Amino acid sequence: MAQKNSSIENREQNKATARILTVLSSFASNIREFGISELSQHLGMTKNMVYRAIKTLEEQDYVIRDPGGQRYQLGFRVLELQNTFSPEPTFRTLCAPAMQQLHELTGETVSLTVRAQDYTVFIDGIETRQPGVWRLQIGALRPLHVNTTGHVMLAFLEDAEIEAYIRRHLDDVPAKDDKPLDAELLWQDLHKIRQDGYATSVRPGALPMLSLALPIWDAENFLHGAMSVGGPNERFGPRFDLLLPQILTIINVLCQRTRLYSANAAGSEITL
Amino acid sequence: MKATKKPKRPAINSSAVHVFDILRSVSDGAEPAGVTDISRRLSLTGSTVFRALTTLEASGYLSRYRNLPQFELGMMPYLLNRAFLNQFELNAASRPFLQQLAQETGETVSLNVRLGWYSLRLSGIYGSRDIYHRDRLGELALLHQSLAGRAILAFLPEDTLPELMLFLKEQLGEAPSADEWSDLQKTMQIARESGVHAQALQMSPGFSAIAIPVRDQTGAAIACITVNGPVYPSNNIRAQLEIRDGLERIIAATPERFVSPFAHIPPDKMRLQIPRTKAVGTPSISNVDS
Repeated sequence: MAQKNSSIENREQNKATARILTVLSSFASNIREFGISELSQHLGMTKNMVYRAIKTLEEQDYVIRDPGGQRYQLGFRVLELQNTFSPEPTFRTLCAPAMQQLHELTGETVSLTVRAQDYTVFIDGIETRQPGVWRLQIGALRPLHVNTTGHVMLAFLEDAEIEAYIRRHLDDVPAKDDKPLDAELLWQDLHKIRQDGYATSVRPGALPMLSLALPIWDAENFLHGAMSVGGPNERFGPRFDLLLPQILTIINVLCQRTRLYSANAAGSEITL
Repeated sequence: MKATKKPKRPAINSSAVHVFDILRSVSDGAEPAGVTDISRRLSLTGSTVFRALTTLEASGYLSRYRNLPQFELGMMPYLLNRAFLNQFELNAASRPFLQQLAQETGETVSLNVRLGWYSLRLSGIYGSRDIYHRDRLGELALLHQSLAGRAILAFLPEDTLPELMLFLKEQLGEAPSADEWSDLQKTMQIARESGVHAQALQMSPGFSAIAIPVRDQTGAAIACITVNGPVYPSNNIRAQLEIRDGLERIIAATPERFVSPFAHIPPDKMRLQIPRTKAVGTPSISNVDS
């Protein structure tokens, strides 16, 4: 009987420990201070649970009271949780769990893209196992105006930068299957992306492909890059509206993490 | 019948204390660790360690190393570390100045701040050179043990040094010897006179680092910019100081913005275990160029 009680207690203790770690994880964002009620609301835990978690964290200096004494901020003890022998996260490693989640949710091809001056570069991706695969070409360079992720990269630049890009590429000879740059259509699309916060497009052809591209933000409201998910319109299209809220939730959680980092001048990699 | 009062549960969760000990043990290891290593290191039972590792893995604090029953730090500690550094307003405000310095020198430029009796690397920008000095953000060192820390120390009020000595002696039990203390005081004096603190890097012959204090409106150092690179040509220092002056003007305009988010914690309360680094030994304290 005593053994049974002890086992129940251990399971309970681990649940409590998991709650403590969840409370601490809330501070891994650019929100600097939290009150007990805010955390309770944010995490869906009772105020008592949050209070007990905070007390344990405060006792060990993983959180401390703010100068006002009523709210809590991240404590200096977290600096001990570093390992100088292992590499820091990169943009790719930060995005990997979200890419996997998007792939599992949609079953479609997911890709990660960064900007290199006037081009998009695919740096990572997961291809669908279903028929009708959007082929991922890691390292492929595409001008910003020819694909959905490129449009996302362009949309969140300054207007003057977009105008300059258009001037540079207006007379480009389009590659096979690409259309020439139409400034008016491009601007319409960019305004819509700014309004919606993401880009969608259907690429015509024998098998029309539906693509959704989402911006991945940095600490200073620049883009680290974009993540896209796409597949045959006849397969992905009918499920799109149903999946979109869940896709946006995954990307929002990812951006809470990527917003802790500043993109470098090229906007392509997380700096040290 | 009188209701029996439920015994009050303690506010602190003792099992979580073990979990954090285990997390720190993994973070301090040069290699990924398994249940046996950790239970030996911390004298805990295998089942306690196993449960803790499972909880830490599920919460993103640890991850499995190459699908083996061994663990290394997961993503969450790195994210917390970054969020910690972002609490300092100086982090974002200094970035354009560090970028300018990195561009002009081609070298790695870092910003360190004071945190209690430690210097903390807050921000950094790599220069353009192919071979560069790699610094880690969030790195800690006792103030007197790092180039940046000594540059900060040199520009703090005079009674700071004896207070640090007291902390080292009473809290850490590792006060420097009389000779080391005398050397440190001399180094401080040279840094004060020259306005900067420079050091030859023992680990990289021919390379040096320079530390430039960043002061508030009272003249006290609140941070320090370091530039690592080949032995420093003195005629460049003026340009570096001008960039630093630009940052100091920003600080002077709204000093309250740049008060450390840990200014309300007495320095003696901040006792930190410094994570091990790859480098062995402490570089010598020598001013090669000032």
